[in-house]
Amino acid sequence: MIEFVLDGRSRVATYMQLVLQVKQALRVGLAQPGDRLPKVRDVAQALAINPNTVLKAYRELELEGLAEGRPGVGTFLVRTLAGPALAHQAELRAELTAWLHRAQAAGLTREDITALVDTTLRATPERPPTDGAAPA
Amino acid sequence: MIWLTWRQHRKQALWTAAALLALAAVLVPTGLAMRSTFQDSGLGACLRALGHAELVDNGGCEALSQRFGNKYDSTAFLAVLLVLLPVLAGVFLGAPLVAREVENGTHRLVWTQGISRRRWILTKFGLVGAVTLVLSVGYALGAAWWLEPLADNGLGRLRYLVFDVQGIAPIGYTLFAVALGILAGTVARRVLPAMGISLTAFIAVRALVELFARPYFLPAKTLTYAIDSPLMANRFAGSWIYQEGVRNGTGALVLPDGRIGCGPEGGDSAGCLARIAQDYGPAPLTNWQEYQPADRFWTFQAIETGIFLALTVLLVTVAVRRVRRIS
Amino acid sequence: MTESALNTEALGKRYGQTWALRDCSLELPAGRIAALVGPNGAGKSTLLHLAVGLLRPDTGQVRVFGRDPREDPDARADLGFVAQDTPLYPDFTAAELITMGRRLNPRGWDDSIARDRLARLGLPLDKRVGRLSGGQRAQVALALALAKRPRLLLLDEPVAALDPLARHEFMQALMGAVGEYGTTVLLSSHLLNDLERVCDHLVLLHTSQVRLSAPVDDLLASHCRLVGPRTPDGAAVPGVAEVVRASHTERQSTLLVRTDGPVDENRWTVHQVTLEDLVLAHLGTSARPTASEVAA
Repeated sequence: MIEFVLDGRSRVATYMQLVLQVKQALRVGLAQPGDRLPKVRDVAQALAINPNTVLKAYRELELEGLAEGRPGVGTFLVRTLAGPALAHQAELRAELTAWLHRAQAAGLTREDITALVDTTLRATPERPPTDGAAPA
Repeated sequence: MIWLTWRQHRKQALWTAAALLALAAVLVPTGLAMRSTFQDSGLGACLRALGHAELVDNGGCEALSQRFGNKYDSTAFLAVLLVLLPVLAGVFLGAPLVAREVENGTHRLVWTQGISRRRWILTKFGLVGAVTLVLSVGYALGAAWWLEPLADNGLGRLRYLVFDVQGIAPIGYTLFAVALGILAGTVARRVLPAMGISLTAFIAVRALVELFARPYFLPAKTLTYAIDSPLMANRFAGSWIYQEGVRNGTGALVLPDGRIGCGPEGGDSAGCLARIAQDYGPAPLTNWQEYQPADRFWTFQAIETGIFLALTVLLVTVAVRRVRRIS
Repeated sequence: MTESALNTEALGKRYGQTWALRDCSLELPAGRIAALVGPNGAGKSTLLHLAVGLLRPDTGQVRVFGRDPREDPDARADLGFVAQDTPLYPDFTAAELITMGRRLNPRGWDDSIARDRLARLGLPLDKRVGRLSGGQRAQVALALALAKRPRLLLLDEPVAALDPLARHEFMQALMGAVGEYGTTVLLSSHLLNDLERVCDHLVLLHTSQVRLSAPVDDLLASHCRLVGPRTPDGAAVPGVAEVVRASHTERQSTLLVRTDGPVDENRWTVHQVTLEDLVLAHLGTSARPTASEVAA
């Protein structure tokens, strides 16, 4: 079962932090369809946050079709984000590691690498291209 | 609510019981000793024979009375202690009742439960009042029993201090003291100041009534009799004597706080009279006293108690109104 | 439309010549966790005391689930209250306090709620509460309030006197209870930090009056900070309903505003605000020095 944590300094809304953690867990295979999400009360108590915030996060997951509430039982995950991509992750990760080594060898610092990845990600459209989003 | 009241005040109740037991441990043996001396010495029988008439053929009991007085008059100081009991009830039972709750903030705990504040007031004041009533009845009866020989031996029941610890007046004082303590608690809202206020106010009110009201409850009577009368004022009648002395023919008080007996048993009655006239002016010389007779005891008790019960009702009413405004 | 847990209309309370609370009208829908925030002396305790029926209002009225808390015993049964400094009888044990609660609450009381909560926290039931730590006493007070099974729970600065760990544990217990029973909560604090994660409704009091009373999401959506060319105070800005706070440099103005329409994004850079920014802005310039004051 997922154990939620909160980043106190993050500007991301609390409910969204919960949503992202579930998605992350689904992506890396730590959570799977059929898993029950922790009870609202338990999350609220453990994190000392408003139970309505937890409910809001669970509703968001339901809206996205990732989870399903079963009255009187709890909220269950019904879909995964890992999909076929999970199978390729190990291979991609190995390639990325090799690339990172090359980048370091080329003298790029950690910040340089992050910036490079960020700009490249932004410049590479997922869907039909919008106006150039690369920062000036 | 009754459970809560008991749980909150059981320590006070136990302390009160312990204090009263300690007091009883002193009073019961001395009381028993006094009573047996009173009877065994023959003083009791002598005074019974003398009766309670205001003028009597004075005689036989003086010596016995003197001896009894020498032995026991000093114990009368215990009566002073007894006079303090009501104010102690006010200070230790009354003052903390509301003040302690407000001082600790617990009134906000107890007044936000399912029962109404009215019910809290009724139960608290009612139970404390009932306990006070029982205690003060016992106290009045005990004090009256203990003081009886001393009172009979010339002290009288109307005197200051003696009057104050028996009959029904102590009940009025005690209820008044507790009501005063409660009200002081609603004003000061802290225990110690409430205790101080109730102590001071109690003494002030008691002194005012005792000194400036009680002597005027009923008009005083006067008793006069010739100095050569065979009968003298009965020292054991239990009267409350305001003033006494000897007046001469012009009506002037020539011998304050004294009395003169030139009665027949002295022998030379005429010679006695002549000598007195030389010293004090024209005949006829009369003994004179201004006093409240002993049989007015219960009337005085009723008036005194009435005053303090009325004050109690007033204070409780004000206290209830104040409690309803505390937040 | 959800039910209203707490409703006040033109509520006022005066001590002598001074108004402790004036013209207070607000509505708290059921199911909310509301923060009652304001500086010390702003009237938070007065409002809570009026809501639980400890005080009688001088003007207006207060209703708890539609009932007068001072007159109606049903309203009293609906209310739970944890007073400031969590007062308890220090010579009572927790078990005795639970007995007291049972005897003082003929309706609705549930012993097991208090017992279970304290057992889970490992709190001894047979120890005098005067010997417990501040955090433990606060937990006992909360357990007693919850055992009443209230529909509206009011707490007056419950964590103000606690250390950070006890504070966190108290909020954990409170949020767990709300998750379990769905209680509506109104809790006061002079610090917002304690409540930012917790509340979804904000009531802001300042100088005895209500400045804000709205869902947190609405407040955050309707407020923003605008940075743009210097604009004189009082000048109308399109899309802005109210300038809450403005500070100026020679060429630039920074405005914290409540919007009621789209703002000209060519003229202004729009920044989102946090709840804390918003509260400080509404509490006025005294809360924080302006840039010019710092420079001087």
